[in-house]
Amino acid sequence: MIKITGLTKSFGAKAITRGLDLEINDGEFLAIIGRSGEGKSVLLKQIIGLITPDAGTVIIDGQDITKLKGRARQAVFKKCGYVFQFAALLDSLNVLENVGITLIENDGKTIEDVAPLVTNRLRDVGLDQDVLDKYPDELSGGMKKRVGLARTLMTNPKILIYDEPTTGLDPITVRLIHELIKKTHEEQKVTSIVISHDIEIFKYATHVAMLHEGKIAYKGPASTIWECTNPYIYQFIRGLPEGPIKQIGFVNESV
Amino acid sequence: MLMRTIDNVGSVVLDLCYFMGSVGLFVQEMVVTLFSTRLKVKKLFYQMSYIGIGSVSIVFLVGVAVGAVLALQSYVGLNRFGSTQFIGPIVFLSMTREFGPVFAAIMVIGRAGSAMTAELGSMRISEQIDALQTLSINPFQYLIVPRVLAATIILPFLSILCSFFGIVAGYVTAVYLLAINPDTYMETIRANVQMSDITNGLIKAVIFGFLLAVIATYKGYVTRGGAKGLGMSTTQSVVLANVTIIAADYILTSLMFTK
Repeated sequence: MIKITGLTKSFGAKAITRGLDLEINDGEFLAIIGRSGEGKSVLLKQIIGLITPDAGTVIIDGQDITKLKGRARQAVFKKCGYVFQFAALLDSLNVLENVGITLIENDGKTIEDVAPLVTNRLRDVGLDQDVLDKYPDELSGGMKKRVGLARTLMTNPKILIYDEPTTGLDPITVRLIHELIKKTHEEQKVTSIVISHDIEIFKYATHVAMLHEGKIAYKGPASTIWECTNPYIYQFIRGLPEGPIKQIGFVNESV
Repeated sequence: MLMRTIDNVGSVVLDLCYFMGSVGLFVQEMVVTLFSTRLKVKKLFYQMSYIGIGSVSIVFLVGVAVGAVLALQSYVGLNRFGSTQFIGPIVFLSMTREFGPVFAAIMVIGRAGSAMTAELGSMRISEQIDALQTLSINPFQYLIVPRVLAATIILPFLSILCSFFGIVAGYVTAVYLLAINPDTYMETIRANVQMSDITNGLIKAVIFGFLLAVIATYKGYVTRGGAKGLGMSTTQSVVLANVTIIAADYILTSLMFTK
């Protein structure tokens, strides 16, 4: 279980999370939604420990990860897998080396040792072994995201965090990626947290949380999201210009 | 006007304090990682090869040019006092004590230091360093330690090569161009050079290698601000490393050679 309490983070004068509270149960598939620039990625990076919050706690399996340093923090990373928005593959390594990197660097295995394991993982995410020798700049956006997911799965994480996994992809690939996330969630029996701007994610998630002005404005089941009367959710998922969510960055700015 | 000046000075001082503290913590983390984790030997050798073997040709060119110019300039000055027999020791001591380590360091900054900053900076802004962390791979162990250690180990060798090429070029210039007696050239070197002239130059090279690699990796590691930020980091890395080497050279020379 992940329990976040009073999470606060500012960059200079700009407050990103403002005493945010959130609980995510084991096995949950949580979709986090919110406007661009709300700090969803910063929230995820605080959950996994890539960004240290100014205040608040992030308790994963009874351990406050905000207090951890060095190897203890590295152990947390073994529990949590993070799939980056643009995959963040190491561009000097080919797909085989990218996906097998944790086994090569942390466990001292050779390329020959990891090749069959990598091939299996790639198959899990719908890629065949033709891509093994390719470098990241030779892959399409969707393939990069699959390779990124395969790399993350190599550590067998209990918690999988996806930062906008479908951004910039065509509708067919979006659907395939969503199905892959769902399949991975069910087969690996993991807790999944997905940031998405795509309302299709509600078909796959078990829960939805909305981030607004640095706090969770709503959290509830995904299955009933379209019947939800919460004014923030109502406005956001329908894309309505009028409502409690103010427009920021436009000429008729009302904030 | 006065308040603005005080404000600006204060801001510069604060930035400097932040920078020094930040570099200090970076070095501390690097040293702790070096002694508490397994050294990535393959990466160390790769970096040694990249920094060392890749820089030999440029070090050769610079060493030859500097050695030859030194011989020519020394001749002009010494000829006025009838002391041209001392060209050999002047070239030798200048190369081993000063120009060998300094020029090797400057060449490595331009060739490998800038590349280190650009590579790490690119990895930072494309979240590759964050990705390493999420995969439980220590970025200091994987990226920083091999580079800093490689530069620290390899720079003395480049310094020796630079000095050697310079001394040979000085010899060729003096003997074949300026008609200095070759036996005199070698004899005066033997009579005037001490072992400490060579070892102190090597100590300088070790320190220069460490400093330039720390600056290059630090600047890359903390890069932010996209392509523009990457360009700025690389420029700052090269300028700062060069200035640091010149300043460190003065300090080390004061400490080592004034007694």
